[in-house]
Amino acid sequence: MRFAKSGDGDFIQRIIHHKFHGFVHSTFNRTINIQCLDRGDLYTLACKGIDNAPNTLIIDLDHFEETDIWVNDVVSSDHPVLLIANKMSITMNGVKNWNCELPKYPSEADVLIMNVSTMKQYINLHGNNSRIERAFKSGNPFDDEMSRMLHERTQLLVSELQNKRISTAITHATSLIGLGPGLTPAGDDFLVGLFTVFNIENNRSFLHQSFCEEVVLHAKALTNEISYMALAKAAVGQVRESISDLMEALFRGSEEELLLALDRVLAIGSTSGTDIALGIVAGLEMNK
Amino acid sequence: MTVQVLVKPNTYIDSVSLMSLSTKANQIEIVEQAIIAMGTEMNKEVIRNVGLMTPEVESAKTSDLVIIVKAASEELCEDAFESINELLTKKKDSSKGKSEVKYSTITSAVHGTPEANLAIIAVNGSYAPREARKALENNLHVMLFSDNVSIEDEIQLKTLAQEKGLLMMGPDCGTAIIGNVALCFANAVRKGNIGIVGASGTGSQEVTVRIHEFGGGITQLIGTGGRDLSEEVGGIMMLAGIKALEEDDATKVIVLVSKPPAPSVEEKVLAQIKQCKKPVVVWFVGGNEEKVTQAGGHFAKMSKEAALKAVLLAGADESKLNKRALNLPLIEEVRAKLNPQQKYIRGLFSGGTLCDEAMHIAMEKFDNVYSNIQRDPEYRLKDVRVSQDHTFIDFGDDQFTQGKPHPMIDPSTRIERFIQEAKDPSVGVIVMDFVLGFGAHEDPVGAMLPAIIEAKQAADEEGRHLEIIGYILGTELDSQNIEGQINKLLASGATHASSSQNAGLLAREFVVKGE
Repeated sequence: MRFAKSGDGDFIQRIIHHKFHGFVHSTFNRTINIQCLDRGDLYTLACKGIDNAPNTLIIDLDHFEETDIWVNDVVSSDHPVLLIANKMSITMNGVKNWNCELPKYPSEADVLIMNVSTMKQYINLHGNNSRIERAFKSGNPFDDEMSRMLHERTQLLVSELQNKRISTAITHATSLIGLGPGLTPAGDDFLVGLFTVFNIENNRSFLHQSFCEEVVLHAKALTNEISYMALAKAAVGQVRESISDLMEALFRGSEEELLLALDRVLAIGSTSGTDIALGIVAGLEMNK
Repeated sequence: MTVQVLVKPNTYIDSVSLMSLSTKANQIEIVEQAIIAMGTEMNKEVIRNVGLMTPEVESAKTSDLVIIVKAASEELCEDAFESINELLTKKKDSSKGKSEVKYSTITSAVHGTPEANLAIIAVNGSYAPREARKALENNLHVMLFSDNVSIEDEIQLKTLAQEKGLLMMGPDCGTAIIGNVALCFANAVRKGNIGIVGASGTGSQEVTVRIHEFGGGITQLIGTGGRDLSEEVGGIMMLAGIKALEEDDATKVIVLVSKPPAPSVEEKVLAQIKQCKKPVVVWFVGGNEEKVTQAGGHFAKMSKEAALKAVLLAGADESKLNKRALNLPLIEEVRAKLNPQQKYIRGLFSGGTLCDEAMHIAMEKFDNVYSNIQRDPEYRLKDVRVSQDHTFIDFGDDQFTQGKPHPMIDPSTRIERFIQEAKDPSVGVIVMDFVLGFGAHEDPVGAMLPAIIEAKQAADEEGRHLEIIGYILGTELDSQNIEGQINKLLASGATHASSSQNAGLLAREFVVKGE
């Protein structure tokens, strides 16, 4: 029997009080995605050391490598236990509930302005070769074209949002979905960062929430199911704990707190963390 | 420069591994350019912009991993894919310490592994005969998985194999189990004492899994190729296969599987059965019982019957077998739910022989049975995109697979057709197969599931019951987890048929009116 350490409160309640029926959708070394049958939503089981996230349960396991869990294994619940075929049982006894609560926009912007400037410099130095930041020439035609399109489309999106031309902004945002070679394409990651800012209360861009929802309506057919879930959740202000912590550090943290939080975000995926961070910067700079 | 594409359906690799793989692929010496990315519309746009778009890339889905290689020649592209696949496999197997040696030519493979006695050829159809010939000349049996091999080449290769006392399996029926190893499309089944010679792919797979379910096992499954029993090829490999199994001490019973053979070839096969010292079960779809019995063979009208006869001849105790009789109360229940207008069956199959079997079962009670594989031109669909009365479609037939992967790998064409058929108020039953096993889609039921749920909901809203029958061809030893696939199917509200034969019978009986 495995123990759930912490997780998304709604997911935990579902396991404890309702029936969960699904199957294993995809497996990785340190995470497993499961798809529930009734709504088709994806949920994630993650190993310890990974941060809390929407629809995610963190369990007391270092990796899934020797668990013999396969895609299509049946997942069910027998409250308060989540069962993966006859291969793993995870009890919710003692689990810590987590719910994503984004911090409010600060009334005084001095710390934020300074932190955004620091964050930009830090991404420049320590970010992971994002194709969004600048169009680069690698000599590989596919990479160069991908980079050109990402750079151009993010610039157009930001410009349209700054000029409050929402319908063309939606078109440009949609043209970013699924763009990028990774599991969560760079375009999607950038939008996750942008959506995070647009869901901050008291932010001048807070009104762009409907923009997020509109963009997500187009997203399902344009990207894979794993990335879609992250986008759909971010559109309603539900993001990973490390992203939420970064927002808090940006608004109220010291430089040291900011860089600690930023390092955790930059460590997400290959370039995903950097692309998310760039989306956050773009969103915050619209408030200037 | 040549561009080749490999689409891996529903393949998720974490971003870090994907980037590392992409970098390594571009470092392979013979590779001009390699692209590894998910098949999203926007990534396709980038691919189009750099001039590497192909029909395979165009049809990739957002959950598919697309691998594109540009190299100086087709042969170098094939070599590059081998290397990329090796990198992918290495990634998967790194924890288990597995490694394998890669050879770029058949000759070097023969030198490097002198104990090997079989080659699987799966290169492009225009190069396949040359490679198959090289293998035969090196005294290797051949499993030719490639399609688009001309019948002239097939005859030449099979004649050469015959002269050398070798087997030349395939093309156009990509199944075999040799020494308990599944090749191309095949299922994981128990080792036993029944040998099969099959000229039809899914038909042979069906017989192996039914034998396994009845507690029996397989010595060898020799896939002869779909055209072997044609007038032109003359059954060269079926005759060689029967002889090989007759000489094999482990084989006690032989089963022959085929779509209807050419009459002159059928005669030759029956003549050989007459001489054979071992019992031979013959399942030729739509075959003639009298001729088989006269030749001393054991006639089977359907697939399950062929498997049952084989295990009984091999020594199984009939009283202990679960024959999985038809669920008669279910038939009554479904008939009562269908309204009088819901008269027709629509069979949507990825397996050609499974389609043929269900179609022949329907033809026993109905005259108006149409298909893209009907032998009677009067009942062949004029337009394969439009169904007529009872319609059975084989999505593995050439009309549907040109420039596209086989539906056992890529189910998209069938999903579109399913949605179309589900809206037709004259349809009572839709019957489908889901093929598991080596080489097949990782989650065939899952790929169809959203469409099934949506179709059933839409029919409910219109006040009609839509009956969907799914047959999952596989065993508990197959990697796809058959139990999980069945559970998914049942959770969608579909009916699960326990065999191809039962799927055909249930479909037919559900729409019978007034009995």
